[in-house]
Amino acid sequence: MGEEGAAIAEAAPVATEAASRLREFFPSTGPLGRLFTMDTAIIVVRVLITLVLSLVFVGLVVTILRKVSKKRMDARTGGLFVKVVQYLGLAFVAFAVLDAANVNLSALLGAAGIVGIAIGFAAQTSVSNFISGIFIVSEKTFTQGDVLSVDGTSGIVYSIDAFSIKLRTFDNQLIRIPNETLIKTKMANITRFPARRLNIDILVTYDSDIERTRDVLLEVAAKNQDVLRNPEPVFMVKEYGDNGIELFFGVWCASDEWFQGNNSMKIDIKKRLDAEGIQFAYPTVTVYSKKA
Amino acid sequence: MWEPYDVPRSEGTRIHRIGDALVCIAVEMTGAGDLLAAMPVYPEAGTQKKSLRKKADHAIALPPLEDGAWSRFFIGKAESYELSPGYPPLPACVSLKETFSLPPGATLDGWIFSRVEARVLVAGNELASFPLVKPYKTLYGTPDAGVVCRHDEAQFLASNEPMFDSLVTDPGLVAHPVRLKNASSEPVRVTELCIYGEQLSIFGVGTNMQSERLLFIFSSSGVRMSLDGQGPLPSGATVLAKPKVSGEERFIVRSFELFKAITRL
Repeated sequence: MGEEGAAIAEAAPVATEAASRLREFFPSTGPLGRLFTMDTAIIVVRVLITLVLSLVFVGLVVTILRKVSKKRMDARTGGLFVKVVQYLGLAFVAFAVLDAANVNLSALLGAAGIVGIAIGFAAQTSVSNFISGIFIVSEKTFTQGDVLSVDGTSGIVYSIDAFSIKLRTFDNQLIRIPNETLIKTKMANITRFPARRLNIDILVTYDSDIERTRDVLLEVAAKNQDVLRNPEPVFMVKEYGDNGIELFFGVWCASDEWFQGNNSMKIDIKKRLDAEGIQFAYPTVTVYSKKA
Repeated sequence: MWEPYDVPRSEGTRIHRIGDALVCIAVEMTGAGDLLAAMPVYPEAGTQKKSLRKKADHAIALPPLEDGAWSRFFIGKAESYELSPGYPPLPACVSLKETFSLPPGATLDGWIFSRVEARVLVAGNELASFPLVKPYKTLYGTPDAGVVCRHDEAQFLASNEPMFDSLVTDPGLVAHPVRLKNASSEPVRVTELCIYGEQLSIFGVGTNMQSERLLFIFSSSGVRMSLDGQGPLPSGATVLAKPKVSGEERFIVRSFELFKAITRL
């Protein structure tokens, strides 16, 4: 008691001196004087310390999670998981700061319910996008680096975020697609599977030998290094069309070499059919003249 | 053939013939150091006649060193390069020329062959790796869950003993002693075998090459390749290439992939 009492007695004049200096700037009778009391200063300091410490804590947790998720989860799941923790962390920071500021949280939470409904209506789209994101993650339809075609837009998945995904199109544009749109629209993941079929429609004239054409196409596919030997190519006579015989020829390529295969196959087919004298058909009209 | 060579600084382009393929090596001299240029040349289909081979080596028309067909590497003042065999980076799917059926519970020993690539190394570092035949690809498995592999075609020799002295004359082929086991309750038609070369060594046996013994187990859930010990290795065999990935590493990677597939993480 003796030492503690002496310390208090020693500190008292210092505190009194600080308070009197504060009053010099803000007289206690004025509105600022009533606001800037010693208690307020202590609360402000406490709020600042709480804010800094809780932000550091949340930042640390998010950094660790980001590193762990990068190793253990795919980009989409990891990104969403980190975002959820980030938002929960920010809510925690807000509550801690309000608590440090001696704000009555029960009253605030009551008010928050009403505000929440209002915000809920206002943020309907964002919430919908967020929840759509969770459903998309659970479906596991694509991941970063896949090539998607969404509503006529094709591109490589550039980033996966809580509310949207970003596609980098092949002409180098960044397209943002909300998660809600992904749920509602037909989406094609072009590179999901290891192999992809290249479908080639060919229209040849009626005087072409179909069997010879088939053999030539199969030979072209067998010599092309971009075409997989297995699964085997598919040949089909589709239709006797208005302008010629419609043929279908499908060959398989590794998904990441499909583009290259498309070009090399179409060039090779044109060269070989030309060399074999097999003609592509064009729109034609046959005119019969009646002798008078 | 698989040995170190002097860098051909004063002799133009050096041509190494490995089987039907040619590996051409040339040097471009620069002030700060030299550039080593390497290029494979494959035979045109149907033009190979042994009597004409030697002639063809001299008659070959190579593009200038600036051409994109050459792979060029800075080698500084290095005095030598090495030709070494290696497995292709993709798994090799060996399509069997004669397919056969394996009854339930049966085990069959034999030999299959796959093609190596020619690696060009300087000071132990791989500069380039060239297939020894024009490489084609194939899909092992189904289009939704298969693996894109390099396509090889070979005979299956049902024999315990090495037979390659009499049958294998192509120096670009490596012999794999294999054991096939049908653990399922149905007969299995063996049409192709997929070899993951990254786990295998290459042993030089005279002018021929051989790997460790492989075990293929056919079960209701699919086919699994694993190493099955050393297999019959003749004396005097030397190690030409070591595995790129150890069995343990492969096991850990596969376990993690399986875990991810189960938990969908």
